[in-house]
Amino acid sequence: MRNLTSTALMLTALVASNLPARAAERVQVSGEIVDTWCAITGIMFASGTAHHQCAVWCAVGGIPVSIKTKDGAYYVVLRIEDSDVSLANPTIVNIQTHEVTVDGELHERDGVKYLFVSKVADDKGIVTLTHDENGIVPFGN
Amino acid sequence: MKNPFLALFLGAATLTSSAFAADSWGIANETVVEIEATVVDVACTLKKDCPANCGDGKRQLGLLTADGKLRLAAKGATDFAGAATDLLPHCGKTVFADGLLIANPAMTIFMVQNLRMSKDQKLQPAKMFEAEWTKKHGKAAEWFRADPLVKKVIEADGVLGIKGLAPAATP
Repeated sequence: MRNLTSTALMLTALVASNLPARAAERVQVSGEIVDTWCAITGIMFASGTAHHQCAVWCAVGGIPVSIKTKDGAYYVVLRIEDSDVSLANPTIVNIQTHEVTVDGELHERDGVKYLFVSKVADDKGIVTLTHDENGIVPFGN
Repeated sequence: MKNPFLALFLGAATLTSSAFAADSWGIANETVVEIEATVVDVACTLKKDCPANCGDGKRQLGLLTADGKLRLAAKGATDFAGAATDLLPHCGKTVFADGLLIANPAMTIFMVQNLRMSKDQKLQPAKMFEAEWTKKHGKAAEWFRADPLVKKVIEADGVLGIKGLAPAATP
């Protein structure tokens, strides 16, 4: 019996690890537009005004842009409204660090939440002021 | 070097180009690994919305392994640049991508440091972004400060992103 249970658990784990991507769902997401690389790796302080310039560099360099929510979830933006350009898209570059609320279609696969934004419902601009405490990150200029 | 962030960025990039194998960046949850995978358009893989040639340089690219894992290729070996320029010429083909798999609980991403088409080839640094940028815009000490779009955005709203808000003067 113990062997059967172990086998069943192993099979369950195997099946779980090979589950197909979750079905897409409509969501509304609020958070800060961030540079995915710096934010996920933690190689530098990566939020708000202190990191805005670097976020622009990275977006123009083609690094994926994400929305970071207050609870620490990240959503990679693969589409924004009418544009399916997700590499150095000037529309996305221009709203780096902004606090936004977007409607879109969520796809989850292999540890990543991908978001196809159909509408930017609200854009509060940059509201997270971090430069007094952190300076300009990186390089200080 | 005064700035630890600069040392981290440039030091790792230098090691990559001289050692021809992925180097650790000391990032939490990172694994140094070379993966065999097919270069794919991420949006196409997720939604079956598939323009020619993986979006022809307009879309984020990924690496799809034989066991079905889709890895977002978030970073290349050029400072502040992604991996799409290096991967695009191999759209739909199998490559060996040498780099860092970063399995952060919030998101799993892949940094491509080097590439080769087969195991018997030498790894080539994934620095095509810089080469292509230089072809288009001319040589610059730091592409990211010289780029026309970057300059336009920063000149419009400043380094902090808010018009009229300036960083404190350095003593």
